Amino acid sequence: MADVVEAAAPEGRKLGTWLFNPFHYVAGGQALLIGLVAVLAAAVIGSLSNTHFDGVLDVHTGLEAPLWVFVFESVMDWLALGAVLFVGGALVSKSRFRALDVFGTQALARAPTLVTVVLALLPGYQRYLQYFVAKYMGQTVDVEIGALDPFVCCVALMGMLLMLVWMVALMYRAFAVSCNVRGGKAIGTFIACLLAAEAVTKALSWAALQVT
Amino acid sequence: MADRTMPAICPSCGSAISVVRLNCGACGTAVEGGFDLSVLARLSPEDQAFVLEFVKSSGSLKAMARHYGISYPTVRNRMDALIERVRRLEATVSGEERE
Repeated sequence: MADVVEAAAPEGRKLGTWLFNPFHYVAGGQALLIGLVAVLAAAVIGSLSNTHFDGVLDVHTGLEAPLWVFVFESVMDWLALGAVLFVGGALVSKSRFRALDVFGTQALARAPTLVTVVLALLPGYQRYLQYFVAKYMGQTVDVEIGALDPFVCCVALMGMLLMLVWMVALMYRAFAVSCNVRGGKAIGTFIACLLAAEAVTKALSWAALQVT
Repeated sequence: MADRTMPAICPSCGSAISVVRLNCGACGTAVEGGFDLSVLARLSPEDQAFVLEFVKSSGSLKAMARHYGISYPTVRNRMDALIERVRRLEATVSGEERE
């Protein structure tokens, strides 16, 4: 009944559903298309600030690399988690489900990375990060930072953390909806799959960087 | 007058309810007896509407997803939940018949 109730829900509740469970409304090919555009756009924009998604749950800024590395990392994050969750779903779900829904919703769940890469473009964040890393590594600091740069950097980092939390919440909802699983079994399987995908993507990211 | 729906479950003990009196709205003739409700009639009004929509959509979950404005897996999950409820109802009804 929740679905019909949801369809007639007040606007506030619908907004909440769109933010934290858009898969109630969008899945399959549509989610895949929107999600892939977001994943690829995040990779390209991320390359402008050297922001890597070198793992399903990782965001790191600084290391210069060719564009293909950024695209490879983003696509690999999506594919690895999608594949692992598809297998996990097949093991625990009693329902029949489509691979298109699993991969489509997981692609859409990565949409918050778009906000992350935009935050990483902030000049104050870039400057302060360069300054901080140079100082931490004991190198010559040749970056002039503004008075507001530490504040901008903190805001950007908090925003990125928030996007990461939002993305994980979306990934879980995507898994629950596309595989029709819920409760402790769904949470346990999701965490196990997330850790497995994180390990795989970390290793593949490292391998990609060795090629460059 | 507000829409009234026939209860399928006894509000007192939770057992399945049967119909004992039917009335003709035109001439007032009444028929009394023990009439069992079908499994479909025991479903909630929302579930009955869902089943009707499924029939009208020629059994296409994709068409139902478009009709309700929700995604395919959401409809699929709702269908799975409905199938589970129907199976439980069938088990309850067949259990009561054996008794």
